[in-house]
Amino acid sequence: MIPLRALIRKELAVLFTSPVAYLTLAMVGVVTALVFFDHLRVYNQTLFVWASTTMGGFETDTIPDYINLRTLVFLPVMEQLALMFIGLVPLVTMRVFSEERARGTDELLATTQLSPNQIVAGKFLVAYLFVAIMLAVSFVYPATSIVTAGLGLKHLVAVYVGLFTLGIGIASIGLVCSAWTTSQLVAAVSAYAVAFVVYDFSWATAFVRDRESLASLLDAISIHPRFGGFAEGLVIGADVAYFAALALVCFGLARVSLDLERVR
Amino acid sequence: MATDDPTRERRGCRIQARELTRRFGDHVALDALSLDVAPGEAFGLLGANGAGKTTFIRLVTGYLVPTTGEVTIDGLSPGGAPQAVHARIGYVAETSRIYPELRVRGFLRFAGGVRGLAGDVLHEAVERTLERFSLRDVAGRMVGNLSKGYQQRVSLAQGFLHDPPLVIVDEPSSGLDPLQQGEVRAVLGAAGGERTVLLCTHDLAEARELTQRVAVLRAGRLVALGRTEEVLGGDPLALFREDGAP
Repeated sequence: MIPLRALIRKELAVLFTSPVAYLTLAMVGVVTALVFFDHLRVYNQTLFVWASTTMGGFETDTIPDYINLRTLVFLPVMEQLALMFIGLVPLVTMRVFSEERARGTDELLATTQLSPNQIVAGKFLVAYLFVAIMLAVSFVYPATSIVTAGLGLKHLVAVYVGLFTLGIGIASIGLVCSAWTTSQLVAAVSAYAVAFVVYDFSWATAFVRDRESLASLLDAISIHPRFGGFAEGLVIGADVAYFAALALVCFGLARVSLDLERVR
Repeated sequence: MATDDPTRERRGCRIQARELTRRFGDHVALDALSLDVAPGEAFGLLGANGAGKTTFIRLVTGYLVPTTGEVTIDGLSPGGAPQAVHARIGYVAETSRIYPELRVRGFLRFAGGVRGLAGDVLHEAVERTLERFSLRDVAGRMVGNLSKGYQQRVSLAQGFLHDPPLVIVDEPSSGLDPLQQGEVRAVLGAAGGERTVLLCTHDLAEARELTQRVAVLRAGRLVALGRTEEVLGGDPLALFREDGAP
């Protein structure tokens, strides 16, 4: 474990000496604020308009069910944060393996006490930690809803578990793309391509409507249907398992890339 | 010339290569190479660019897998027992394989950590290495802000940090000015001592100064093997040429 700890410390040091990490976190803070407060404003306006045009005023019973924080704020915010993750996470993951290859430091790592599994695990863990930090930054604004609006903490936890598993999925895709190239640009662009394609296959189902098994397969491997439950406040085991499986597949592919380097 | 006192205790690793071959597609980078390096020996691997020197080193470190044949370090195969082999090796690659965004002390702590050193042992190893390689004055500076000579010194330092019985050094003075080359050779000469040193170079003066025996490779094949002064005594450049002509 000592070599793995040393690798994790190095990865963190390299990550946080790069302006990309700070720019990404700043972007998360700004975008989350804009998205969250915009939806909150719309929610408040809807609430006000409805309340002011009914005899019931702000009485709870007179406001229809669909005007609630979950539907008007958290569901759309989560959708938009998910897209923001696809846009930002590959910027952080693109250099993780490709830069080592381009600098030749992968050779240094390969001749130490680190096993290939530990090299991949160390890099994946640091990327996941960065996703957690991104979420912590974005958590500030929704957290105010708990304090000031009495929104259920459990619901918000479910939303953030969903965003975290999604972030892990996107980071894993970004990392595996980085593991198969020496170019950071290629790593980022391929991560965007793969993440956007896998994000939602609903566009493809129209073309394969007559082939039901293929359509259901595409639906099963899509990311988008998998975090709807989290937005509803539900942590469903199958959804968590989906993202864990995605991370494992990416881990395996990254590991294979290291092996192929030795026999190329 | 490196010291070769027969009364001194011989420590270090034994390297044995048998019919070692490595192909990259159709290109044969190393062709049925067989050689032994004795424990405690300073051994030079010479040859022109593309002769197969770095390929041989990468096979010894386990970074590459041989196409056929085998190489062992103290009887251990880098493919079969990578951890045990890597524990014996300090590797200094051709160009400085360093992280420019780390500070010198931080980089050496990382290099020690990934070789399994921790706590007081790591602290002492880093401080000793900073002193030994005259890096104390730059210990707090970013590696990327150092001169090329200092970067190479840092690269050498990480290879010796865990006091390995086998140090593999690939073109240590490549791309350095004469002054820096002299510094690196002095560092390498002083740091060698009682361990096996495998020095890969195309600099004949460097080989004469730092090694006891040399092997000369040409197009992946072994064309000469013996004591350094004997192999490099006549017209050593003829050994490098494709046709072998003087």
